[in-house]
Amino acid sequence: MTPAPVVEVTDLVVAYGAATALDRVTLSVAEGEMVALLGPNGAGKSTLANALAGLLRPASGTVTVRGRLALIPEGRQLFPDLSVADNLALGGWRSGVRDPSAVYDVLPRLAELADRRAGVLSGGEQQMVAFGRALMSRPDVLVVDELSLGLAPNVTAGLARHLAELNRARGLAVLLIEQNARLAFELCRRAYVLESGRLVTEGESAALAGDPRVAGAYLGGAIT
Amino acid sequence: MMLGRVAVPLAAAVTLALPAVLDDSALAVYVLLGLAAMVTVGVSLLMGYAGQVSLGQGAFYGVGAYTAALLALNGLPPLLGLLAAPVAAAAFALVVGLPLLRLRGHHLAFATLAMQLILLSLAGQLDFTGGDIGLQAIPPFSAWSFEAGGVTAYAYLTWAGLALVMLVTRNVIASRPGRALRALATSETAAASSGIPVGRYKLAVLALSAAFAGLAGGIYCFYTGYVAPGSFPVLISIQYIVMAVVGGLGTIWGAVVGAAAITLLVQGLDRLANLPGMPSYAPGVLSYAVYALVLIAVVLFLPNGLVPAIRRLLSRERPAKTR
Amino acid sequence: MSAFLTYLLNGLAVGCAIALIASGLVVIHRVTGVVNFAQGTFAVVAGLCASSLLGLGLPHGASELAAVLAAAVAGLLTGLAAVGRPGTTPLSSLIVTLGVGVLAYAVEIVLWGDQPRSAPGLAGSVTVAGARIQTQHLLVIAVTAVAFAALALFFGRTYLGKALTACASNPYAARVVGIDVRRMGLLAFALGGLLGGLAGVLVTPMRPISFDSDVTLIVNGFAAAVFGALTRPVITLAGALLLGVAETMAAGYGYGSHQLEIALGLMLVVMIVQAGRRPAISQEPT
Repeated sequence: MTPAPVVEVTDLVVAYGAATALDRVTLSVAEGEMVALLGPNGAGKSTLANALAGLLRPASGTVTVRGRLALIPEGRQLFPDLSVADNLALGGWRSGVRDPSAVYDVLPRLAELADRRAGVLSGGEQQMVAFGRALMSRPDVLVVDELSLGLAPNVTAGLARHLAELNRARGLAVLLIEQNARLAFELCRRAYVLESGRLVTEGESAALAGDPRVAGAYLGGAIT
Repeated sequence: MMLGRVAVPLAAAVTLALPAVLDDSALAVYVLLGLAAMVTVGVSLLMGYAGQVSLGQGAFYGVGAYTAALLALNGLPPLLGLLAAPVAAAAFALVVGLPLLRLRGHHLAFATLAMQLILLSLAGQLDFTGGDIGLQAIPPFSAWSFEAGGVTAYAYLTWAGLALVMLVTRNVIASRPGRALRALATSETAAASSGIPVGRYKLAVLALSAAFAGLAGGIYCFYTGYVAPGSFPVLISIQYIVMAVVGGLGTIWGAVVGAAAITLLVQGLDRLANLPGMPSYAPGVLSYAVYALVLIAVVLFLPNGLVPAIRRLLSRERPAKTR
Repeated sequence: MSAFLTYLLNGLAVGCAIALIASGLVVIHRVTGVVNFAQGTFAVVAGLCASSLLGLGLPHGASELAAVLAAAVAGLLTGLAAVGRPGTTPLSSLIVTLGVGVLAYAVEIVLWGDQPRSAPGLAGSVTVAGARIQTQHLLVIAVTAVAFAALALFFGRTYLGKALTACASNPYAARVVGIDVRRMGLLAFALGGLLGGLAGVLVTPMRPISFDSDVTLIVNGFAAAVFGALTRPVITLAGALLLGVAETMAAGYGYGSHQLEIALGLMLVVMIVQAGRRPAISQEPT
């Protein structure tokens, strides 16, 4: 028996004026599952992320989330004028959690940065704050929009480890929106591919990695 | 387009015929409406094409009125005064516009308001402008052997002034710079990057709108026979914005329709407020309330204004008729 | 010399009242991006309310408190009109607040008539280093100091204050963590109304207030706020004190009729200098 889905998207259509950004997208994330969403720039990945977070109104279709969903938006999107501790505290707006010590246990580096202004941190540190801020809402499912974008590979690897650890230890479900397919396939067992607002293919990561079309577009040639 | 070819000459003919049949009190409304429309065409051009809010259009109106009045009182022919009014207002706009137009959005709005307040305060203190009392006993308008005797003459003068303003605006909009201006209203950065001399165009539009206001001010001073700082309160500038927004920004007919709608509405309410039994404050209260409610309602619910909304309705219905 | 000190202290009191109006402008602008033209109206509403309530025999303190709360409600209503509808641009909101200010004229004339009204304040005066200063002026300075300290604490230390700052800092991120940005905007307007109201009840005993006093108040407040680029409260306070002292000095040394021109001229110069420094203020007029 497959576990119940925490995120279920059915025939989702999102339009900006006359332009259709998402066209009948259907996908699901099961409890405790890590799923990847691949796609080139402008495919509608961030639109999907915003629709999942309830920040966009769909033109039609449904988005069902069981439990609490947190979004790590593309480009971090911190509050640059506020301290790291304040950024984290505001992450608890929905959950009512004000004390970030539980997040410091998971990401000890943040405790050292607590009093720094978020705007002056490095990209990797900012991504970690965004990660911590999302955890403050005690999510059941985490949507990560471009974890690796603009970060050094070792920084990305560190964050990915944390993500995998949270998934294993707490059963946190993850939808990882990525351009870096190698990272996505490594972390997630299952993946969707979005192009021009439509899902073009989906399946097990291993199978997709072997698909010459996917490999050619996202892995820069066949995977070995 | 078909509609325009019939409606414009028709509107022109009807409005030209009206002064002959209206009584004096109706003629007074006709003149005020026409003068307001002249200023509003400029405001609409400035807001709709250059994307700039001026809360000081009343200052240009005042500059025109004072210019014409001072020249006429010093023995120069009234026609010369009337011609000088738009020139002086435009020149004034060029001078203040150079520094002010470096500002945008709410900064420009407040700066133009400040300009009007400073001007009003100066006019109330300087000797040659007659202080708070203003300038009295301005001779009636005359040109060659013609002398404007009654209200009817001023009605025709206003009609001609408005026609001139609308014609000039139409040609400006249709010109190549005019089409470039359209881009300015939507995105200044985009307009600048496509090589449009944004600064110079904005200044030109401000000067043109000031000239329209100045011309209206010139006619106004001969019509009333006196000007004073109290004739050009801040509220008058707000009133032009209400008219422009109501009619629809960046459309010539919108400005005229907006000016007409607001003037007639306020005049109608004024009659109501002056009925016996109404409290003495009723006229002021009603006109403030109308300006405010109409402005808020239109900005929130009809952001394109009346004329574009009506046009859209008409164009939606037309295919249904031909079917 | 003592005349100079008197003018200075009086000027500081006038500047404090301007600072309260301006701080309301800054709070609203930071959170919503809207310049609230009706900010002077809040002061007028509170001043007129206080004069009526005192006239009805309500004690000091209770009257002023009720008047300030009335101004906060006026702020909330203004906010509903200006930012309550999704998709209203900041410039449209400015025009709406302009409309609210004019609408308030109608309401105020019906309720209070069109003549200026005053209210009794703190009577008496004290002598400081040979300069006589009215007790009411000292009260204005003290209340303003407390109000600015409270604002600093609210925005710097409380969760709600930080959420408001978050909306100013990154509205999209605020929505991501679940903050209702629109509601925070309304809160900012209510707070702006409160601050404007505070200015109103303090000013009314110093100079009588009428329905159209709002123009002078908002123009002075805006002038002070542009010193701090409409976002920085401390520089705004400094700007307001400078304006207040400059105007009072001008009046004291015989240029009283040019008070307004001085404030406006200063404002224009500051704005133009600021615009010259940052040629591309990121504000598109649509």
